[in-house]
Amino acid sequence: MGRSSPLSPDEAGSRLRARFGSDVVDVAEQHGHIVATVTRERYHDVCRFMRDEPELACDYADFTSAVDWGEERGFELLTHLFSTVHHHNVRLKVAVPYDDPVVPTVSDLWPTCDWHERETAEMFGIRFQGHPTPVKLLLAEPFEGHPLRKSFPLMTREAKPWPGAVEGEEVEEE
Amino acid sequence: MGLITEKTPLPKLQPVKFILNWGRRYSLWVMNFGLACCAIEFIAASTSKNDFIRLGVIPTAHGPRQADLLVVAGTLTDKMAPALKRVYEQMPDPKYVISFGSCSNCGGPYWDSYSVTKGVDQIVPIDVYVPGCPPRPEALLHGIIELQNKIKDEDIEEKFGGKVQPAVS
Repeated sequence: MGRSSPLSPDEAGSRLRARFGSDVVDVAEQHGHIVATVTRERYHDVCRFMRDEPELACDYADFTSAVDWGEERGFELLTHLFSTVHHHNVRLKVAVPYDDPVVPTVSDLWPTCDWHERETAEMFGIRFQGHPTPVKLLLAEPFEGHPLRKSFPLMTREAKPWPGAVEGEEVEEE
Repeated sequence: MGLITEKTPLPKLQPVKFILNWGRRYSLWVMNFGLACCAIEFIAASTSKNDFIRLGVIPTAHGPRQADLLVVAGTLTDKMAPALKRVYEQMPDPKYVISFGSCSNCGGPYWDSYSVTKGVDQIVPIDVYVPGCPPRPEALLHGIIELQNKIKDEDIEEKFGGKVQPAVS
């Protein structure tokens, strides 16, 4: 297999836009990685395109995770892909509304995503539609709540507040 | 040792008590319940530089059923807690537990975590707590000596009079 040079973000962006049009919301570059924001409706199609298109050939899914940006902005789903043929990294971002956290699964494209999606599901409460085994991965089965959501209360801190400054919180001035 | 009952006359005698306790405290088969980085310090304590074998602690019992001493080294999560209880219950009496490191003492740096058990003493009774994050191997040696002092003064009749210490549920 001939090793070819990685695709630049502009080239990848133009290929994605030619195929998916306005469903590709944004294409940018971060740390030499291609970062593409896509709509939730075409997320699975974009993933399939990423895997099957010979010029992109993202045959390896590194991880799937999410970011909680609060109730207004909702969640941001991240899927990091890598091409062992072209040696380029692609990060797909999908905006997920807070009150309807459902995303199609991509575990049928990359079996790696199976466990990552299970972890994301239990930690953020995002449901992956079509996932073969939608059960908890790391947490104990009776666990309630989604601990990586910003709204998840840390009961110990309710009883005894953290004495130091907390990242992201404003320091109260006396 | 487990055969001593209330009807056994011997342990009432001070020299017998001394010899039995002396024998027990210098042959502690240890089971390492290693859960995190503290387990590495435990291993360091077992190797030639610190060498807790010279204190009579014999490393790596073949399983909990052959062990006298359980060292809980590391972060116990709520999901792991039933496994620890099961290991403890498999150990034959007399059994001792050392809680090694801040995580197993009280949760340590994970004091506000959603998944960590804040203190192994909620699951099994603890004889000696070794503080530190992680404690140095010397701290474990100190903890072992403290445990041996505790065993030295033990009233055998009280401990093995058929009354088994129930595990904290």
